[in-house]
Amino acid sequence: MEAFQGCPGSRMMDFSQKKVSEGEEPTGKIESQLRQWPIQLHLISPLAPYYRGADVLLTADCVAYALGDYHRQYLKGKSLAIACPKLDEGQDIYVDKIKAWIDEAKINTLTVMIMQVPCCMGLLNLAQEAAAKATRKVPVKYLVVGLQGEILQEEWL
Amino acid sequence: MEEYLNKGIKEVITEFPAVDKILEEYGIGCGPCSVGTCLLKDIVAIHNLPEDEQRVMMARIAKVIYPDKVIPLPPATPRKETGPKELKYSPPMKALVDEHVLIKRWLALIPAVLEDLDLSTEEGRNLILQGVDFIRSYADRYHHAKEEDVLFGYFDPNLDILKVIVQDHIVGRGHVKAVVEGVDRQDKGAVAEHLLAYRNLLTGHIKKEDEILWPWMERNLTMTQIGELYAKFQETDQRMGLSTEKFENFIINLEKKYKA
Repeated sequence: MEAFQGCPGSRMMDFSQKKVSEGEEPTGKIESQLRQWPIQLHLISPLAPYYRGADVLLTADCVAYALGDYHRQYLKGKSLAIACPKLDEGQDIYVDKIKAWIDEAKINTLTVMIMQVPCCMGLLNLAQEAAAKATRKVPVKYLVVGLQGEILQEEWL
Repeated sequence: MEEYLNKGIKEVITEFPAVDKILEEYGIGCGPCSVGTCLLKDIVAIHNLPEDEQRVMMARIAKVIYPDKVIPLPPATPRKETGPKELKYSPPMKALVDEHVLIKRWLALIPAVLEDLDLSTEEGRNLILQGVDFIRSYADRYHHAKEEDVLFGYFDPNLDILKVIVQDHIVGRGHVKAVVEGVDRQDKGAVAEHLLAYRNLLTGHIKKEDEILWPWMERNLTMTQIGELYAKFQETDQRMGLSTEKFENFIINLEKKYKA
């Protein structure tokens, strides 16, 4: 078989044979932990009331699909924005919005969740740039999620 | 076994000295602790040992306490996972750990300072009083105040490990007061005795915090609490308006003097 030459973020992979054990299957209705709308970073206002003083979660678009327990483990209690550092345009605005979260909305913390694919690191770089430009300082944590939902890395910036 | 799980560790070790050796093997150094009121069950939980290690350790301790009986043990405390690898300190906890570094540099200098001690000159007395100012302003007011006034507020004040830490602060203040009194009387022996006692106390105290208390607290703080702590530490620093540069320079200059 020929080695894959393209972008690792677009590489075709099939996990359909992955077995999920009985014990891992959730029972009953799973409540959504989303507590706001909109969520896309271009659409949100960083000064919306639900961001003020909040623990904010900035998630790469694909994360919530890869991570089975995203709502309960990570979204719960947080205000959200999502973005794709590979496909979204106008990412300078993203830096301004993240900076506005820190300086104007006076968020409590920022958690950035990205996928393991290299292009996703761009979202962390945006957050890092915004945090460096901001006057206030807040704890910023990032998590790298594997393609099958495993947490590969969890660090403070 | 329940009876001993709810006993202070010092009491357990005094009755069964072999328990101290077992704890040591698992990196739990309760033996030299000056207070030792932490309950055996809390110690096991705070150290976050893997469950299988916890079970083996508890079985060994039970064997020491009840050599002729088979003792049913309580279930091991589930280990709090911090991700695929150990999480580094969050910014507020890292700030406390970083402050320890400067305090440890002062502690390391104390023997050399004492060797050179001359309380008959103003210069000699001033050197000790500058050291006292470092302890009172930086180590105590700047650093310990953040622990006592802010951080500990997020935990149960009845936890024995917190009582131990606060007690260390109180004992340390007593030694510092005695150092100042010794300087006033130009009593070299008293200054040396209490400064060395302070050094020994703080060395163990910092080790307890860096290796046991902070990692345990870090595992139990929520993201919201970490953000709050960070903001409160910044507010505290601003309110105190203390220039840490002065204290860093004090240490750097002493290091030059005694390590050159």
